[in-house]
Amino acid sequence: MSESARPPRWRMTRRGFLIGLGLAGGGLALGALFGLPAARLALSDLLGDGFGPPATLPKEPNLWFAIQPDGQVMMTMPKVEMGQGVHTALAQIAAEELGVSWEQIQIAQASSLGPVRDGAGTSASYSVMGLFPLLRETAATLREMLRAAGAEQLGIEIAQAQVSDGAVIDSADPTRRIGFGTLVSLPRDWQPPAEAAPLTPPERWRIIGQPTPRLDLPAKIRGLATYGYDARVEGMLYGAVARPPRLGARLRRAAPGTARERPGVVEVVIRDGFAGVVAESRLTAYAALNDLELEWELPPPFSQQDIDERLAAQANAGTPIQKRGDATRALQGARVIEATYRTPLAAHANLEPQAALVDVQTERVRAWVSTQSPIQVANTLASLLGRKPETVEVIPTYLGGGFGRKITTVVASEAALLSAAVGRPVHVGWTRTEEFRHSYLRPPTYATFRAALDATGTIVALEQRHVSGNVLFELIPAPLRWLFGSDFGAWRGARLVYAIPDLLVTSHIVDLPVPTGPWRGLGLLANTFAVESFIDELAVAAKIDPLEFRLRHLPNTPVGRRFRATLLAVAEMSNWSETPLPGRARGIACSIDMNTIAAHVAEVGYEGDRLRVYRVWAAVDPGIAINPDGLIAQTEGGIMMGLSATLFERITIQDGQIAAGNFDRYPLLTIADAPEVQVQLLRSGDQPFGGGEPPMGPIAAAVANALFALSGERRRELPLLG
Amino acid sequence: MELIINGQRFTVAAEPARPLLYVLRDELGLTGTKFGCGAGICGACTVHVNGVATRSCQTMISTLAGAQITTIEGLANGERLHPVQQAFLELQVPQCGWCMSGQMMAAAALLAANPSPTRDDMIAAMRYNYCRCGTYARIGRAVMRAAELMKEGRQ
Repeated sequence: MSESARPPRWRMTRRGFLIGLGLAGGGLALGALFGLPAARLALSDLLGDGFGPPATLPKEPNLWFAIQPDGQVMMTMPKVEMGQGVHTALAQIAAEELGVSWEQIQIAQASSLGPVRDGAGTSASYSVMGLFPLLRETAATLREMLRAAGAEQLGIEIAQAQVSDGAVIDSADPTRRIGFGTLVSLPRDWQPPAEAAPLTPPERWRIIGQPTPRLDLPAKIRGLATYGYDARVEGMLYGAVARPPRLGARLRRAAPGTARERPGVVEVVIRDGFAGVVAESRLTAYAALNDLELEWELPPPFSQQDIDERLAAQANAGTPIQKRGDATRALQGARVIEATYRTPLAAHANLEPQAALVDVQTERVRAWVSTQSPIQVANTLASLLGRKPETVEVIPTYLGGGFGRKITTVVASEAALLSAAVGRPVHVGWTRTEEFRHSYLRPPTYATFRAALDATGTIVALEQRHVSGNVLFELIPAPLRWLFGSDFGAWRGARLVYAIPDLLVTSHIVDLPVPTGPWRGLGLLANTFAVESFIDELAVAAKIDPLEFRLRHLPNTPVGRRFRATLLAVAEMSNWSETPLPGRARGIACSIDMNTIAAHVAEVGYEGDRLRVYRVWAAVDPGIAINPDGLIAQTEGGIMMGLSATLFERITIQDGQIAAGNFDRYPLLTIADAPEVQVQLLRSGDQPFGGGEPPMGPIAAAVANALFALSGERRRELPLLG
Repeated sequence: MELIINGQRFTVAAEPARPLLYVLRDELGLTGTKFGCGAGICGACTVHVNGVATRSCQTMISTLAGAQITTIEGLANGERLHPVQQAFLELQVPQCGWCMSGQMMAAAALLAANPSPTRDDMIAAMRYNYCRCGTYARIGRAVMRAAELMKEGRQ
């Protein structure tokens, strides 16, 4: 964005957003400062892989959308599209408040340099929830400026001027109208409105809340969408990087060996702790890795048992993350029900492995990366290459799955080192084996519960001691961890909604010799499995129907009432009160995450001796769904991915290495095991909450509870099969 | 050697043992066919060889002389989407989309051989294609919908 295209004036709105106005390319452009809402997520600025200075909040507003002389609105997307439908949802919000038709919106992906910069990256189910107020206010401001200009042109009072389908219309004579495209072409000293622009009231929403076809699908249907693995430029080469034979191994010495003699090899790049090959084809680059002479310094091997024991050994450590009354004392002398729940290491298994194309030139660096964090990647590359940040541009592509695995993308640094060495663009795309063995994983968890019931079957005291590997601490520099007290990523989903007079939940993080980090929902799936299975155990002990048991324990608070409505909705959908078909049984569970509540009922049975999940009913209260079909798709998909983890997925360690090198050792759910899924969305307000992760929360517990109802066997460890 | 891809003839210089996937993506720029596992497990690289759904990561180009190869880029008839693509769009099946070329190629091969599949037929044909986003419920509906669209098209 050139300086001349920068808005000349800025003003502060009532929410404290700066709104900038200006003429760009003959149209009217408008932007907003991302600082204030993004500050709530300032932590996310630390999630880069370089731990360089955190991406600072922008000092000036960024251009967000521009109205073109033809009336089309070009909206720039600060978030990346990884299948969650975020581009479509954000465009819906903008079209709504601008007063344009859906067809008038066009979208473009922002790069790390802008024009819109959002240091938070795309994660934590926060995109729509976090941008909703800012996006509405910015768009409404632009609409009001156009309304004022249109009223002036039509010679009417502003109150008489309506905005609809990208035009200002005389409400007294609707044949008199002037389009936005015409308005922005007229010479005018654009002024922001003196008063805060009114937001369109929810009862007049035309686009928000309507099922809307995704903007990214036409290209995806034709195989024309470009992902990081697909990035291609003229003159590019392919790179491959030598990998340690064991986790934590260091490269002690490396030499090119015979690699340079292999036809097609362009360069061998050896730096401190790094050895890579650049070649004319990817297969040649990988083949040449075998020609290198490498000496690794191996740490002592560790086993799966070491990890399991490290977790169990800390079962009594931890800092409180939820405390009411004195649970420890209340449990003394009571008849205590106890249980321990475990979940394993798990992989993201995003089907597009890590990929980046980087072109390091003398004056500037351009990188096309499959990443959830383009600004962090740009900062990392700038510091790695010793460049000024403004000369490094990271262009995020479509992501072939993110699920948290593309929050840090070291592959961009690898491609940058190789490109810098040869002076040509280099693409690095990991193999499936690299993806399995050299990625961070979902951490294992170990949760111990103790609880007591009174004579009426009410929980009087409950204690949960939660132990996990790192989720977010892995990404936060150690000196800063004290700021956060506990790793809230690890315990996401571990706090209980239920009204229990004496309650204690503690969290403890164990350092493990295997890298762990954020996986879709962070701790949500694993922790909801433990909490909601244990609640089921208490319902059984109290001899109360599991739905009724949950309803009785909900607090009479706004959140408690939302839980009640969501549980009742899923109960009605699934005919919970009726007995299932012979040979089948049902389980129920619920969760809250990023303020979205989900409740699932799973119906299971045996096919031969194999457990089948036949049906899943899901009720989800996301506040309001901007794109209901999109949220239904996220719920269906979250249930399938969660079910895959519930039934099949476990990473194991063998001789200090991740055992699985491909899907033969880590099979995923297929369509053959996919249940029928029915989703109902509840609307509890006018503000959207999280969408990408929360709907998956209850699935593991719902299935485990159904399995108990079917077999009488309480399974306290994932995966349930295998 | 010469390859016939989407009805067009291409001369490729790659060694005979090179898997088709790398020739499509890295030499011919046909990146619609995706790399997922390189081991023939996930199905992301599925193309048609003489109409049969085939893992391009496991198919050496030396075996393809004279064969008709179709990729996702050649599935539509110009602007006109294949019924499978129409159905996948209508039911808003893709999420991230990475596996979708393979899913649609597998579905199109099924329907070419069996225009009226039962649900079991559909699952037998589609069960070797992973979707990590978990769009299976919609994939199943879309394949059956595509069969309907093809019937309507023939009438």
